[in-house]
Amino acid sequence: MTPTKKSSRRIAAAGIGIAAVFALAACAPPGAEPAPEETEAGATGTLKVGFISPTTGNFAVAGQEMVDGWNLYWETNGTEVNGVTIETIVEDDAGNPETSLTKARKLVEQDQVDVIVGPLIANTALAVAEYAASVGIPNLHPVAASDDLTQRNANDLTVRTGSMGGSQANFPGGQWAATDGGYDTAVTLCADYAFGWESCAGFKQGFESEGGEVIQQIWFPNSTTDFSTYVSQIQAAGADLVYVATAGGAPGPNFLNAYLGLGLDQDQLLLNCCAADQGTLRTMGDQIEGLKSISYWAEGRDSEVVTEFVDAYKEFSDGKVPGAYVAGGYVTASLVASVLEENGLVTGEDLVSAITEYTFEDSIFGRVSFDDYNNTIGPVYIREVQKLDDGNLYNVPIATIEDVDQWLGKDPEDALAQPTYSQSFQG
Amino acid sequence: MNRRRLALIGLGVLLVLGLALPYLGASSFIVSLTSTILIAAILASSVNFLAGEGGMVSLGHAGIAAASSYGVGWASRQGLDTGLQVLIALGVTLAVSFIYGLLSMRTSGIYFLMVTLAVGMLIYGLAFRLSSVTGGENGISGVIRPAWMGQYWTYYYVVLACFVLVTAALWLIGRSPFGASLKGLRDSESRMRSLGYSVPSYRLGAFMISGFVAGLAGLLSVWLTAFVSPSSAGVDRSVHLIIIVILGGIGTLLGPLIGATVVVLVENVLSSYVERWPTVLGLIFILVILFARAGIAGSAGKLLRRLRGNGGARTPGGRGSSASEAVSERNHNA
Repeated sequence: MTPTKKSSRRIAAAGIGIAAVFALAACAPPGAEPAPEETEAGATGTLKVGFISPTTGNFAVAGQEMVDGWNLYWETNGTEVNGVTIETIVEDDAGNPETSLTKARKLVEQDQVDVIVGPLIANTALAVAEYAASVGIPNLHPVAASDDLTQRNANDLTVRTGSMGGSQANFPGGQWAATDGGYDTAVTLCADYAFGWESCAGFKQGFESEGGEVIQQIWFPNSTTDFSTYVSQIQAAGADLVYVATAGGAPGPNFLNAYLGLGLDQDQLLLNCCAADQGTLRTMGDQIEGLKSISYWAEGRDSEVVTEFVDAYKEFSDGKVPGAYVAGGYVTASLVASVLEENGLVTGEDLVSAITEYTFEDSIFGRVSFDDYNNTIGPVYIREVQKLDDGNLYNVPIATIEDVDQWLGKDPEDALAQPTYSQSFQG
Repeated sequence: MNRRRLALIGLGVLLVLGLALPYLGASSFIVSLTSTILIAAILASSVNFLAGEGGMVSLGHAGIAAASSYGVGWASRQGLDTGLQVLIALGVTLAVSFIYGLLSMRTSGIYFLMVTLAVGMLIYGLAFRLSSVTGGENGISGVIRPAWMGQYWTYYYVVLACFVLVTAALWLIGRSPFGASLKGLRDSESRMRSLGYSVPSYRLGAFMISGFVAGLAGLLSVWLTAFVSPSSAGVDRSVHLIIIVILGGIGTLLGPLIGATVVVLVENVLSSYVERWPTVLGLIFILVILFARAGIAGSAGKLLRRLRGNGGARTPGGRGSSASEAVSERNHNA
């Protein structure tokens, strides 16, 4: 290769670059015309639902359960409500916010959905909620538990329909432990990220508001598999009560194996929703009968709607009892159905206000209504693992706290002025 | 000469297609998706530059891009104006790239990989833990891009322009004396040292250039999605970049674009139709490694040359696919 060839090549390349710049500068303005305006879906009699959920990747099990719950409702009750047909398009985001956003954009811009349901993981939920609000599409969240979804990031189009904020559900649990539970001191073990911080903050504030004392807070990384060192720390702390919050999945059973394996007392344990969900119950089996936990969902509650739902899911899934993710999908679907039943086809902000003004007297969660920030106000159950007649383990409520809101006994403005919960700030 | 003209025509057609895309009846979703592809391609170009020209395979570039995104995100949350946001992103990018470069400039091969991986993890950890600045796991949302590029199609043109400029600039740098020295380093570090070259400073320089491009990608990506969270700094994201680069062909001009197109389309479009799309991506990757080690762009170039009858004639200068092949072979051995 001679130098001249090299330099001519270089000139050619520079030429391309410059030409590109000019071309761009010249081309940009006239593009104003194409921008296709969204055609607002009129009263066509179809409510198009875009459902985003991680059905592959690390959260595939939970993601699939959430979709199953949604589909199960429409399979059992039919997809037509009051003349409105429900059409659902399910998209997989693999738990990745960028993919989640692209899928949301696809659902809105290409499929022209009327409402987005999901996704599941906190950061994907926050990202999609923001986008959906910017294009005027309602966004319902069946599972996402991030406090900020209905607090600092709240907007008029985002509704938490099928779960509670991380701190919300655990606050009354803490109060219960200090009063009826009869515990004076507690040590907490929570997952070391936003959901764990929020859960622990809720429990701690509830427990201390009723005179209890949290003597030590221990944090574990989500990837922990061996909990024996944490269990020794718990043992050394010597508190009356051990509160444990995980985000579901393997940590729950792994912790229980370590804890029970060292011969510690199960009656001193109080778990959050997800550490004692159906996955844990199935893995651990009969040895954890009597284990207590706090959640907005109790599959063993004696109620007609719950029995109906549990039976339907057992048939759908070869005898499995539904956990909170399935329930979240199901309750969201039944809420949408109830609202359509009452109002006919509503979309956009009308759909949101129809939902948030609705009081769901007899949902599978109990009596549920919504606050000004579109978050669930509903019952929280103190649950105990029991074996029911069908031979399965259920979380059966032993105490119920009705009408729990997300403000932990504070004024909403004061609560919003606080920093977000972290290891160093627990409220 | 003929071949070069052909390549130029090809590039020209591609560019015209890119420019015309919003007018060809593409929906806003398709145009935004193309922006996503182009941004992924810019980020992959930064990895490709280091790997192709310098033989340094980085497992931490997602961290640099994320640092830049967080810079913009933080600045916008403080209510600073666009100019300051960009300045802060630039500052953060350069600072982070400098740290990466400083720590890794005396290493090569697997050690380089490990150092960049470690710094990348550090950034991930900070994004996750330093919640007062980064918003923790929830990330920072509502990062709005400047109004003049607010429309999806104006933003597409901005991204396209950045991609063209970055690709051209990296190509020119690769052909400059600096690029030649980098190639020398890649092929024989000891020889370059004995010739009197300061190996670490060349490495640092290359890293700064690459880091700057990665930072640009981070800036563009946060303006596209209006959102940044720790997952954008994760190791899996850096691994994704390596996959994009290898799929496209290490050291090739359009390899990053081709690789990014395949990966982004599988992730975002195929996944709507095929439930087991990660398997499909894995299969594509395995097939490329087995049958087209030089990547899609590299192997296509080789095939073209063979079809035109001069397949055996490899230029002694080792330009193009033969060079990239050498690198991929090297990496394979490592």
